[in-house]
Amino acid sequence: MDFQWDAAQQEFRTTVRTFLEQHLPADWESLAHGPGSETQSTFSKRFCAQLAQAGLLVPHWPSRWGGRDADAWTAFILAEEMWAVGEPRGGQYMNVNWIGPTLMRFGTDEQQATYIPPMAGGQTIWCQGFSEPEAGSDLASLRTRAERDGAAYRINGQKIWTSYAGHADTCFLLARTAPGKTGMSIFLVPMDTPGITVRQIPSIIGEGDIHEVFFDDVRVPAGALLGAEGQAWEIARNALSLERVGIPRFALAACSLRRAVSALQRAGRLGQGAMEQSARALAACEAARLYSYHIVDQRQHGAPTGPEASAARYATVMAERLAGDFVVEHCPDALAGSDPLLLAHHQRAIVAGIASGAAEIQLNLIASELLRLPREPR
Amino acid sequence: MDFTLSSDQSALMSALDRLAAPFEQKPTDFHGFALAGPRLEQELENGEYFGIARIPELGALTAAMAVERLAWLPYSVEIALSMLVHPQLGDEWQRPLALVENGRPGRFLATARTALVVDGDHIGLARVAAGEVVPVDSIFAYPMGRFSRTPQVTACSATDAAKLRKWLRIALAAEISGLLHAAIASTVEHLSLRKQFGRQLGTFQALRHRMAECAVLAGGVRWLTLKAAATAEDGDAALAALHAQDSATRIVYDLHQMLGAMGMTLEHPLHLWTYRVKALLSELGGRSGQAQAAARYCFAGA
Ligand SMILES: Cc1cc2nc3c(=O)[nH]c(=O)nc-3n(C[C@H](O)[C@H](O)[C@H](O)COP(=O)(O)OP(=O)(O)OC[C@H]3O[C@@H](n4cnc5c(N)ncnc54)[C@H](O)[C@@H]3O)c2cc1C
Repeated sequence: MDFQWDAAQQEFRTTVRTFLEQHLPADWESLAHGPGSETQSTFSKRFCAQLAQAGLLVPHWPSRWGGRDADAWTAFILAEEMWAVGEPRGGQYMNVNWIGPTLMRFGTDEQQATYIPPMAGGQTIWCQGFSEPEAGSDLASLRTRAERDGAAYRINGQKIWTSYAGHADTCFLLARTAPGKTGMSIFLVPMDTPGITVRQIPSIIGEGDIHEVFFDDVRVPAGALLGAEGQAWEIARNALSLERVGIPRFALAACSLRRAVSALQRAGRLGQGAMEQSARALAACEAARLYSYHIVDQRQHGAPTGPEASAARYATVMAERLAGDFVVEHCPDALAGSDPLLLAHHQRAIVAGIASGAAEIQLNLIASELLRLPREPR
Repeated sequence: MDFTLSSDQSALMSALDRLAAPFEQKPTDFHGFALAGPRLEQELENGEYFGIARIPELGALTAAMAVERLAWLPYSVEIALSMLVHPQLGDEWQRPLALVENGRPGRFLATARTALVVDGDHIGLARVAAGEVVPVDSIFAYPMGRFSRTPQVTACSATDAAKLRKWLRIALAAEISGLLHAAIASTVEHLSLRKQFGRQLGTFQALRHRMAECAVLAGGVRWLTLKAAATAEDGDAALAALHAQDSATRIVYDLHQMLGAMGMTLEHPLHLWTYRVKALLSELGGRSGQAQAAARYCFAGA
């Protein structure tokens, strides 16, 4: 067991940091709080293209798809550094973490040739169309239908909370092709297909983050189906397991905490209570970091990701909460215009227990699969 | 970064599993507060386990894992300080060690050969002679003792005191980590067996979620502890001890709550872990003290 970074890992982190110093514009932090906004989306295409050129967008992808077969640690170091500065890749982090790898695993040659190169070049934005008004945590109850219609599918239904949908080129869509859990399928749907309407939902979490997406008689060719009909659960499980530790939220939480403490120190306002509270929050961030490293380590060794991923997620939720609350209590001015990065962190922190699978669902999994408590009656 | 155990570490942990096997259960006729384990202590001595940290292939990280593993046992033996703090002392200071803070009764003092005497910011060492200490009855699941007359203390330099404090924090965190693991496992067993309203208690979500939160907190303590033992950084040690005392305060409450009245008995073994944890909650300044130390180390120049 070894908690030190090796020389190559340290060098890679330095390379990423240097890249960020050189390429993030001076006003970057004021862009960071609208993760799906027009400005952020435009910025992310320019920035991700530069990352791609420097070999820093998809280093962990196979060389065939523009990567260099780098390991799981490389991918995670990259993600930590990006998230710590407020995620300048915007929604493209999803391409890098799980949409690209999922297409590599389940896509046809044609789907791969169409969609993977623009992702590897940092030129395209995707959205994930899973949640529906009636299907949140209980995703299996989703209603959006895709019906076979000759050589095409006809899609009808509604998605909600869809991040980045306002500027997305393609939707990774979950729809029903038959009744029951085994009747769900994934479609790769260009967002400019007639019949799709996107409506932004005004929110407290930043401009352009969440949307409603309506599908009215949207016709897509049969080639839009990813994998086989009814394979969605397997594909989605695979994708979500990549995403579960994909976002190193603790990295931004820890940075925000340091920033808040430093501001208080400078102003001579770091009292003993605040000092102790900051240390508690930092301990939680570092615990979440190590939990996540444990999952990365499992991936690195080709071991399947077990219920520890839920524990890592939940540890992160606790850390986000402590770090977010610290800022609210001791640096409220940050949420009132004085520090856009702390505001961006706050907006991300408050969704940590909801987005990509609610915290209580993780607790259920931990209880059953990690602690092996008897299951709840259904 | 690599979290797999080396072959030496795996071999040692397997050997400890074998050594611990006869000591996993509380004797059914034991209804006391602290369960002493002289035979366990002797076996650890015979196998030279107290010197793990000094073996280069194993080191302090493996010693922390061993402390944690042995804390799963219901027996109270002075292991943590011997394995993690003793290597920092000169050869003239013999184990077992005891920690005596600000004149309060100390764990294992009645049987210790060396006492670490903490007085505010100062730490000193004292040889413990028979006749200078008396056992103290307590609710804690450690044998407690106190000095019957003022010991002769050799003061440590500020640098040595800081170093000792760091390793005391790591030892504290490692012990709490193991105790929490065992206490959670014991509670899970109870919740899986005990039925009310026609169902196992463990099927009620209100309890499942609290248990899951306890498990996540305890897992975090474990990771922070192992990292601190590996890096030997002051900040890491303070964070580990802080998270340990902070999380333990909540976990111990929840676990007793879930056992109902059974958790109040001396028959059920839960107190053998939780009342060791409670004895550790006040050490080294308690969580407030750890938090201040962690903030000082980790936010210097933030
Ligand atoms: C910022 C943000 C971005 C998002 N982006 C996307 C996206 O891009 N694409 C997408 O498809 N979705 C997205 N989502 C939706 C997200 O996946 C859902 O919000 C999440 O799955 C929870 O569903 P819900 O909001 O309907 O809450 P509900 O399922 O209604 O849950 C509400 C509360 O009840 C609890 N609860 C539910 N069921 C149980 C149970 N069985 N036991 C105990 N407690 C329970 C939950 O834990 C939660 O606390 C996003 C959400 C947010 C906040």
